[in-house]
Amino acid sequence: MTITFSQPGLLDSLEAQDAAALDVLAFGVIGMTLDGVVTHYNAAESRLAGLLPSNVIGRHFFSAVAPCTNNFLVAHRFETEPTIDDTIDYVFTLRMKPTSVRLRLLKQAGRTHMFLAVERR
Amino acid sequence: MPDSGAGALEELLQFLYLTPVGIVKFAADGAIGLINPMASQLLLPLVPNVALDNLYKSLAPLVPNLRGLVDRFTAKAGAVLEEPRLETRVGGARQVLSLTVTRVNDTVYMAILENVTKLAEQQQEIFADQQRFRAIFDNVRDYAIYTVSLTGVVEEWNRSLQRVGGWEAADVLGHKFAMFFSEADRTASRPAALLTAARKSGSIAAEGWRMKRDGSRFWGDTVITSLPDEMGAVRAFVVVVRDMTLRKRMEDELRLLSTVDPLTGAFNRRHGHARLAEALDRRARSGRPVAVMMLDIDLFKNINDTYGHERGDAVLCALVLTCKATLRTVDMLARWGGEEFVVMLPDTGEKEAMVVAERIRAAMAATPVPADGQGEIAFTVSIGVAVPVTPDVEDVLARADRALYAAKTGGRNRVVLAVAA
Repeated sequence: MTITFSQPGLLDSLEAQDAAALDVLAFGVIGMTLDGVVTHYNAAESRLAGLLPSNVIGRHFFSAVAPCTNNFLVAHRFETEPTIDDTIDYVFTLRMKPTSVRLRLLKQAGRTHMFLAVERR
Repeated sequence: MPDSGAGALEELLQFLYLTPVGIVKFAADGAIGLINPMASQLLLPLVPNVALDNLYKSLAPLVPNLRGLVDRFTAKAGAVLEEPRLETRVGGARQVLSLTVTRVNDTVYMAILENVTKLAEQQQEIFADQQRFRAIFDNVRDYAIYTVSLTGVVEEWNRSLQRVGGWEAADVLGHKFAMFFSEADRTASRPAALLTAARKSGSIAAEGWRMKRDGSRFWGDTVITSLPDEMGAVRAFVVVVRDMTLRKRMEDELRLLSTVDPLTGAFNRRHGHARLAEALDRRARSGRPVAVMMLDIDLFKNINDTYGHERGDAVLCALVLTCKATLRTVDMLARWGGEEFVVMLPDTGEKEAMVVAERIRAAMAATPVPADGQGEIAFTVSIGVAVPVTPDVEDVLARADRALYAAKTGGRNRVVLAVAA
């Protein structure tokens, strides 16, 4: 069963996968602890951004990996909302090129991890 | 190392991803070529849901005419726009951005964006502080507030100096603050001593005469406080001077009221007693002589009964005037009660005291007081003179009183010297 960007219950599905399973997905996945430290960084996201998972995992995502998300549209929502499942249009500056993407913000009260899914538009 | 090229590129990417200043490379039509994450972090909230492909579109809320500015820019290269403070609201919060747009050549433009909200807030606080202090300096009454350098040179002028001392900026700026002190204080190097003390203990207060621009003086309470810089070293002082002239005048008046007999202007008994005690202490320490007289108007009750109390009061006042005309300024005259007075003569021995007493007695007898309507009231005084043998005030007073009694029983209008024991 393939996991898709827009399927229902995406947070549950992502949480159940190991790193290798996340790497085969066609869209980017960033998993974080509740305070924003990167725990998962899959191959699709790594290709888009040009960064190796080993250089990203363990860093704070919003301030030390992707500062373009460190505003009230993305980071602020993760920091303040207890539960989110929302898809927004956004622009990443991947390799300094403005790149239109869709972001799916996933967070649920009681869970230990939150996820950001990234799909090119 | 097959991976070194990719590794170096990734390091460069990461460096640009994390650059804390927004950088945008764009073309003359606004098309964004390269943009780093900080620039997008700052731009995206301005116009959400925009593709971030054109800088003019993204900056429209802040600089609606950027395209026009670029079009009209005629130099081959250089700064098209320098905006240190662009205010906006993002997600309900105030945000201040600085923006610089530079033409690199006719096809390449660069924009530098920075979030300067914190800096702007600090500047705003500093500005507000300055305004607050300015308001205080300019509007306090009876206070002058100014700062001086470590060497006492006045560093700033404000309205308070004008209000309290009439000083204008040109009078004080660059001059030593010693000019505000009295000549006596200046001669004694008091201003410099105050700065040294303030430096040592943080703050020092001193009352004294302070100068106004027109050369007149006022009684001022000066508080000097050292101003440490952020490293804790003293770099300057703030001086606050309060015009205390009114208070000083009131204090002087109160002191006068509390020491003087209101009817005659002679000192009152309490003050006379204290002065006498001081003089006897001084005599005990230094051996310098002092003499005491007790003086009483003869048959004063008759004067009151015959001419009335108002004339009696006039006699008391005449006695004091006559005494003061005879006595030196160092001598002290106090009304002891009723028609009884005590005179204290510093640096005066028995023999000279008897001469002074006799002069007073003769002067009284020769100076009658006009009666109501017609005639004059002649009056005489009896005087007992004593020189102390101990520092005990009561002892010398008792001996002078006994001598006075002897003068009365001996026929009045005479001077009697107390016996030694």
